[in-house]
Amino acid sequence: MCASVKYNIRGPALIPRMKTKHRIYYITLFSIVLLGLIATGMFQFWPHSIESSSDWSVQKRSIRDVPVVRLPADSPVPERGDLSCRMHTCFDVYRCGFNPKNKIKVYIYSLKKYVDDAGVPVSSTISQEYNELLTAVADSDYYTEDIARACLFIPSIDLLNQNALRVKETAQALAQLSRWDRGTNHLLFNMLPGGPPDYNTALDVPRDRALLAGGGFSTWTYRQGYDVSIPVYSPLSAEVDLPEKGPGPRRYFLLSSQMALHPEYREELAALQARHGEAVLVLDKCTNLSEGIPAARKRCHKHQVFDYPQVLQEATFCVVLRGARLGQAVLSDVLRAGCIPVIIADSYILPFSEVLDWKRASVAVPEEKMSDVHGILQSIPQRQIEEMQRQKWGSVSNPLFLPLIPPQSQGFTAIVLTYDRVESLFRVITEVSKVPSLSKLLVVWNNQNKNPPEDSLWPKIRVPLKVVRTAENKLSNRFFPYDEIETEAVLAIDDDIIMLTSDELQFGYEVWREFPDRLVGYPGRLHLWDHEMSKWKYESEWTNEVSMVLTGAAFYHKYFNYLYTYKMPGDIKNWVDAHMNCEDIAMNFLVANVTGKAVIKVTPRKKFKCPECTAIDGLSLDQTHMVERSECINKFASVFGTMPLKVVEHRADPVLYKDDFPEKLKSFPNIGSL
Amino acid sequence: MQSWRRKSLWLALLASWLLVLLGLFPLLRLAVPTSPRAGAPQGWPRWLDAELLQSFAKPGELLEDGPRPPQALRGGSCNWGACFDTSKCRGGGLKVFVYPAAGPVSETRRKILASVEGSRYHTLSAAEACLLLLLSPDTSTGECDPVPPQWDGGRNHLVLSLHPAPCPRTFQLGQAMVAEASPTVDTFRPGFDVALPLLPEAHPLRGGVPGQLRQHSPRPGVALLALAEDGGRWHVAGTDFSACPWDGRCEQDRGPKQTHPGATLPNATFCLIPGRGPDVLHFLQALQAGCIPVLLSPRWELPFSEVIDWTKAAIVADERLPLQVLTALQEMPLTRVLALRQQTQFLWDAYFSSVEKVIHTTLEIIQDRIFGPSAHPSLLWNSPPGAILALPTFSPSPSDFPFYHLQQGSRPLGRFSALIWAGALGQPPLKLIQAVAGSEHCAQILVLWSSEKPPPTGWPKTAVPLTVIDGHRKVSDRFFPYSAISTDAILSLDAHSSLSTSEVDFAFVVWQSFPERMVGFLTWSHFWDEARGGWGYTAKRTNEFSMVLTSAAFYHRYYHTLFTHALPKALRTLADEAPTCVDVLMNFLVASVTKLPPIKVPYGMWHQEARPPPLEPGGPGLRQEPQPAAQNCINQMAAGFGHMPLVSSRLRLDPVLFKDPVSVLHPRLLHEAA
Repeated sequence: MCASVKYNIRGPALIPRMKTKHRIYYITLFSIVLLGLIATGMFQFWPHSIESSSDWSVQKRSIRDVPVVRLPADSPVPERGDLSCRMHTCFDVYRCGFNPKNKIKVYIYSLKKYVDDAGVPVSSTISQEYNELLTAVADSDYYTEDIARACLFIPSIDLLNQNALRVKETAQALAQLSRWDRGTNHLLFNMLPGGPPDYNTALDVPRDRALLAGGGFSTWTYRQGYDVSIPVYSPLSAEVDLPEKGPGPRRYFLLSSQMALHPEYREELAALQARHGEAVLVLDKCTNLSEGIPAARKRCHKHQVFDYPQVLQEATFCVVLRGARLGQAVLSDVLRAGCIPVIIADSYILPFSEVLDWKRASVAVPEEKMSDVHGILQSIPQRQIEEMQRQKWGSVSNPLFLPLIPPQSQGFTAIVLTYDRVESLFRVITEVSKVPSLSKLLVVWNNQNKNPPEDSLWPKIRVPLKVVRTAENKLSNRFFPYDEIETEAVLAIDDDIIMLTSDELQFGYEVWREFPDRLVGYPGRLHLWDHEMSKWKYESEWTNEVSMVLTGAAFYHKYFNYLYTYKMPGDIKNWVDAHMNCEDIAMNFLVANVTGKAVIKVTPRKKFKCPECTAIDGLSLDQTHMVERSECINKFASVFGTMPLKVVEHRADPVLYKDDFPEKLKSFPNIGSL
Repeated sequence: MQSWRRKSLWLALLASWLLVLLGLFPLLRLAVPTSPRAGAPQGWPRWLDAELLQSFAKPGELLEDGPRPPQALRGGSCNWGACFDTSKCRGGGLKVFVYPAAGPVSETRRKILASVEGSRYHTLSAAEACLLLLLSPDTSTGECDPVPPQWDGGRNHLVLSLHPAPCPRTFQLGQAMVAEASPTVDTFRPGFDVALPLLPEAHPLRGGVPGQLRQHSPRPGVALLALAEDGGRWHVAGTDFSACPWDGRCEQDRGPKQTHPGATLPNATFCLIPGRGPDVLHFLQALQAGCIPVLLSPRWELPFSEVIDWTKAAIVADERLPLQVLTALQEMPLTRVLALRQQTQFLWDAYFSSVEKVIHTTLEIIQDRIFGPSAHPSLLWNSPPGAILALPTFSPSPSDFPFYHLQQGSRPLGRFSALIWAGALGQPPLKLIQAVAGSEHCAQILVLWSSEKPPPTGWPKTAVPLTVIDGHRKVSDRFFPYSAISTDAILSLDAHSSLSTSEVDFAFVVWQSFPERMVGFLTWSHFWDEARGGWGYTAKRTNEFSMVLTSAAFYHRYYHTLFTHALPKALRTLADEAPTCVDVLMNFLVASVTKLPPIKVPYGMWHQEARPPPLEPGGPGLRQEPQPAAQNCINQMAAGFGHMPLVSSRLRLDPVLFKDPVSVLHPRLLHEAA
């Protein structure tokens, strides 16, 4: 799985949806930090889903009991951060090669309380947030308690807030960690870097080669491909349950909720409000709140009091303006409230920018352009705004997306599934072998009780003929990605389909070449919504529409065999094998679901006549058949969670089909009737 | 003293023991699986008093970090916000002035100049320009350009060098941006500089060789790896490469060594490219060949990394982990291999295959920075047809383009606008208007009156609005993006065309399934004329076609924007001079975007009754054989595009029950079909 793809599926939704369960947040945070590292190219290959692992018995202790470590005043201090660090220069990848399952292993140093010579603590032992983060890491599959096997080391020294620690002494504490080694492979977390008066944008604690997951990096301090930018956690919105809000216009167009703004910025905002009136709301601290109301939860405009962060949901755009620090906790609040952040912070490295396309969910405005911000936002069309609000990240990505027509010379492989109808099978083989582009014929012998005929009895044909014997009589065997298939195009054909002409089959192959990502078949079928029964119905009547083709004879890309065998959702494969039916409907669902495209029906052919089966009484069998097929559609639609089939009104014919034109000049004159 | 000595001896002994133990420990670990030690502390403890832990920041701390005056963060180094003056680009958007060359012009330089001059951003006035382009000297004459006249400390300048400069620059770069081939990551300023690919000297100016990928999935039996060697060569390793180190020093007995000469492209699934050397030419070769580049700890910035998501097309791996990388490549899921392969081809064709594309991509990136929120979303950069062909000025929403409906989960708008071009005509085309207005999908009718005579007043009353637009008597006018066109679909018609309502309805429904293609009734096909040594085309009915006539065709309105704003003016002028040429040009344009053939639907044979000949003689766009002048047109177009984009199709899309014996028996069905 590719890092970015994975991220597109899960990641973006996770940040805005930080629930009160902090734990989920930290699991997410850590896995995204890992993803960030993965995106930097170091760990492209490692599997990176993060799951909580075994429910081991963990010890229960009190924080007060942690051992105290005294740091002598002259103990070594690490070098300042090495700005030239890159993965290939500062990261020791050999430590990550031990594990048989290719999993990154993370070690967490045990918790200590560090004090200086005078016995004064160098920092608060551990914050609630850092404890939860480490707990999340320790509960994940990545955790190892074996320091010798670890690839990444996380110190338990809490660096989240630089204000809460003493810089030099904390650095000394880092330097005495047992595997410190200039900080190689050590991962530090920090959310509030720098301090007055000049507020550095990265943690001031000297850390040498250690990797830093930091909130508020600027382009000057961020080591691209080495550090990871993370959001500043906001307990405010994490504690409040904000309902999800759909896209659409909101009461305010632009809202500013930050309290500590430089007067110059506040003036600009006030001017904006004066110019645009009701559409712009600029909030500030409340000055005269009664006792007991937390000031952090209220914002005021003149005498009007608003609940925070709820008020963020009333606005389309919310300003996230840098303060002394570039990373602002308000960004987390704004995202969670579903307001589109307008980020005014030059040179700020947005969180997870290596794996996240912020353009799709936010607007960045240069500080210089702040006075134009209203105009800039006004120029964004409503549709784009709604897309940003929805934060929709792709629905279908066709696995065969490159537009190309494969060369005719490649040919196709015909796969005949057979049980014991040898005579009919031989006729099919003889007929199919007449098709010019056939390059190989594969017979899937699905009968375990009977051996296939001897070699000498098979028809002699001009292309290689291979017989594959299966272990079980399963319908899915027809869609197995056999190694013997060397062409991209596969023709699945039943052992009783003898009525298709060579022209029809060759033309079917030509059509597949023009639509290599689709199922190309002959008789078409339709699914319909039965309003009375409120469920799907299978339809094989004469209609003007088609949504499926029968795979009794159909061309498709061999990749779909791989998908059918290994990636079919839910229990569909077992269902098909158990019912001995609907493997074709399952294939139609699979292809339509993954490509988002309709089938192509070729030629007027309406049904496969099979001489042998006319003996069976048609009608009653037909009805049970239809009921079963309808049942399949309903079952598959529920497993897929959607109805992927697409209805079309066209079929493909040769360019000159039924044209008033000399037959002998047509490429495919012999296109059969029904 | 004695005791001290004894003590130190003991200590030394102990230490050496410890060292030995520690040294052996990991090895022992590998040999003996560890079992959890009983009673040892496991995992991160669940603190009994975790509830009592403090938050990492005090409530006020997150909200008020001390206001900071604007622009206090500006450092000495440049970024986009600080060093580029976007106010110069207001109004006209990006305007690029390129300094004329002093002295002899090398071939590469000539190509760059031609590309910039052919770009829609080019201006001849330095005063009007918002970006000034300075080409680094690439001749080895030793003569370096002096400081350019409008230098202004390098502000709004882009210094472009496709090849490493042979002489040192005589002036400071100042605030200028640098666009150079394969810059090292250490000096590259993300978001400000532009990373270019290193192009071979003989890289074509425009068009360029298409990607070599002929099929979506790797051919069975193809080599897994090709290793880049010195001098632009490739060493193709067999499937057994376990003894093959990176540098190509494979043991000789592992099969014959296949060394390809420089010009040959690697034929393998993955291409290993060392990240150290300056020889990054291999990278482009791999892209062109559809061989997935595996970059081993690259020290250089990947080309256009600002906009191209390379995780979708290449793999960055650590050169220090050869075995892991090999295993990972071998075990890579088929789905990912397919996606990476196709993406290499798309990127090659969209951004790298010609000097013109490289230059236009560079300008497009600068333009996107200026546009800010209205820039290309990442989707447009990273999926076909690519950002150069998807003009952001058309719409900020990907759903408005014909290309992204699958990814967006959207559909084209459900109605069409008929655009009737009325050239030399006295009477309103009443029958045609009635037939078109009779379609339930028709939203409006626009008549483009391009005759010397004033438009008649007697327009028929129709169910849909009818507007007459006064054209400019130029043929290319019919593809102007008129603001009156309110639907995604355009039905382009000539006043002479004759269509029935059912034909219109069916063609429109087909177009909805293929919104990026042209869907037409009458076709031409192109061919290579050996006798004349050039391209020709014919209106004769053949078994295939590659163009549909715009005298009756559906297509997306985006192609009007592309036709008017992206095509070189010279080609449009050509079309104005030879009117039948305009059809060729439009088909070239759409085919070069989609890389697919147009779609033909049946014409004039739906009903049993006789129909008049399709078009009256004398009108434009006829079934007549194109005149010699027109034959010339196709060759001039091919020269203008740099290649022949047309693709042939052998099929026609008919209604599902078209000419079906059953529909003949049941006329009701035919009626429904129609």
